[in-house]
Amino acid sequence: MTVPYRTLGKTLGAGFALFALAACGGENGASVSSEQESKVLPGGGTVKEMVEKRHEAMEDIGDSFKTISDQLKSGSPDLEAIKGSAALIAEHAPNVGDWFPAETSPALGVDTDALATIWERPEEFAAIAAKFETAAGELNTAAQTGDVEAIGAAFKATGGQCKACHDDFREDD
Amino acid sequence: MTETAAGAPGDGSAAGALVWDWSVRVFHWTTVALIPMLWWSAENGAMDWHRRFGLTLMGLLIFRLYWGVAGINTARFASFVKGPKAITAYLARMKRPYTPAAGHNPLGALSVIALLAALTAQITAGLFAVDVDGIESGPLASLVSFKQGRAAAEFHEFFFNVLLALIVLHIAAVAYYFIALKTNLVRTMITGRRKGAVTANPGPFPLTRFLIGAVLAVAAVTLVQL
Ligand code: HEC
Repeated sequence: MTVPYRTLGKTLGAGFALFALAACGGENGASVSSEQESKVLPGGGTVKEMVEKRHEAMEDIGDSFKTISDQLKSGSPDLEAIKGSAALIAEHAPNVGDWFPAETSPALGVDTDALATIWERPEEFAAIAAKFETAAGELNTAAQTGDVEAIGAAFKATGGQCKACHDDFREDD
Repeated sequence: MTETAAGAPGDGSAAGALVWDWSVRVFHWTTVALIPMLWWSAENGAMDWHRRFGLTLMGLLIFRLYWGVAGINTARFASFVKGPKAITAYLARMKRPYTPAAGHNPLGALSVIALLAALTAQITAGLFAVDVDGIESGPLASLVSFKQGRAAAEFHEFFFNVLLALIVLHIAAVAYYFIALKTNLVRTMITGRRKGAVTANPGPFPLTRFLIGAVLAVAAVTLVQL
């Protein structure tokens, strides 16, 4: 009678672990690199390196953003953690525009979640990137003052820019 | 509420004997209603609602798992989870004229276990899930890193397809019983009774045990939100 339980439990556990592995492993360049991906960019580094770099930077931003979110949700937010995270986001924000050279478009066969619309509507993309930079700056300013309410408002405003950009320019997986 | 099996075992009354107690039926049909609502809220980014529906389902599921151990007759896992031998023997009996089991049959038991396990996995992943913007997250996401939360979210999204496949299989099986075996399982899950079913008299509904389960479920739902 315990047989189906145990087998099912094991199968599910293994499935979960495998999936987590696949989800993490996929980022470490396990995919076959196309010719385009080994091209060297004018600013140095290959296309593949640039895609990896922005991927990591976005994850850094996501990590920091989650830290702020977690702290805001907790009854007693850790202001030091918020300050550090907001500073990191603000540090990355002005560079977002530079992470998307035209050579890294999926239209050229590059493996990326960035959408080709980035290069089809460059003004729109640049406008959101600029708004994001402003919002991230304001979030950082609010964080350094330690005013939780102001941090909450700036957090929402910044989050709106992440979402706006992802909705239009990132493949929804 | 007290509910007893109508009459003695092997009840021949018009209403039939009690096969599913009301708490099992409420769990079943609330889950049926919640799954499309969960899907819809997620698709439309109504994450506040998605969390509410998900936590409701979590409470119900915790109750059902508890009821599988501490509940009454047909709800108990021990009463219906059988080994491969019983399943093979049952397969040989799956033809007309078909006499339905008073409870889960050995094959249907697999479907029940798979569905309950899949719901458990899906809800667990949802508790830890983090969206790509780092804004929306499950109630326990603060316990994991951003990356782990993203992996949980991706599992949650992918695993919904597995859950759907199991649901389709479940519905197909119910349709098979209806068409090929002339057995209406849906009506029994609504009324709880089946004519001619032979069940052990469960006696009065065990209200205290039910309340313990309800308190457990509510406590768990409250705890994950602290
Ligand atoms: C100007 C546009 C833009 C803004 C603003 C933006 N992102 Fe992104 N983000 C993207 C694009 C495009 C990708 C896909 C990059 C790729 O796959 O090469 C991405 C990818 C990501 C990823 C995914 C990395 C992965 O593992 O797939 C995360 C996480 C992320 N962004 C977080 C954030 C957060 C959090 C914010 C706001 C604080 C933000 N982003 C703001 C454009 C943006």
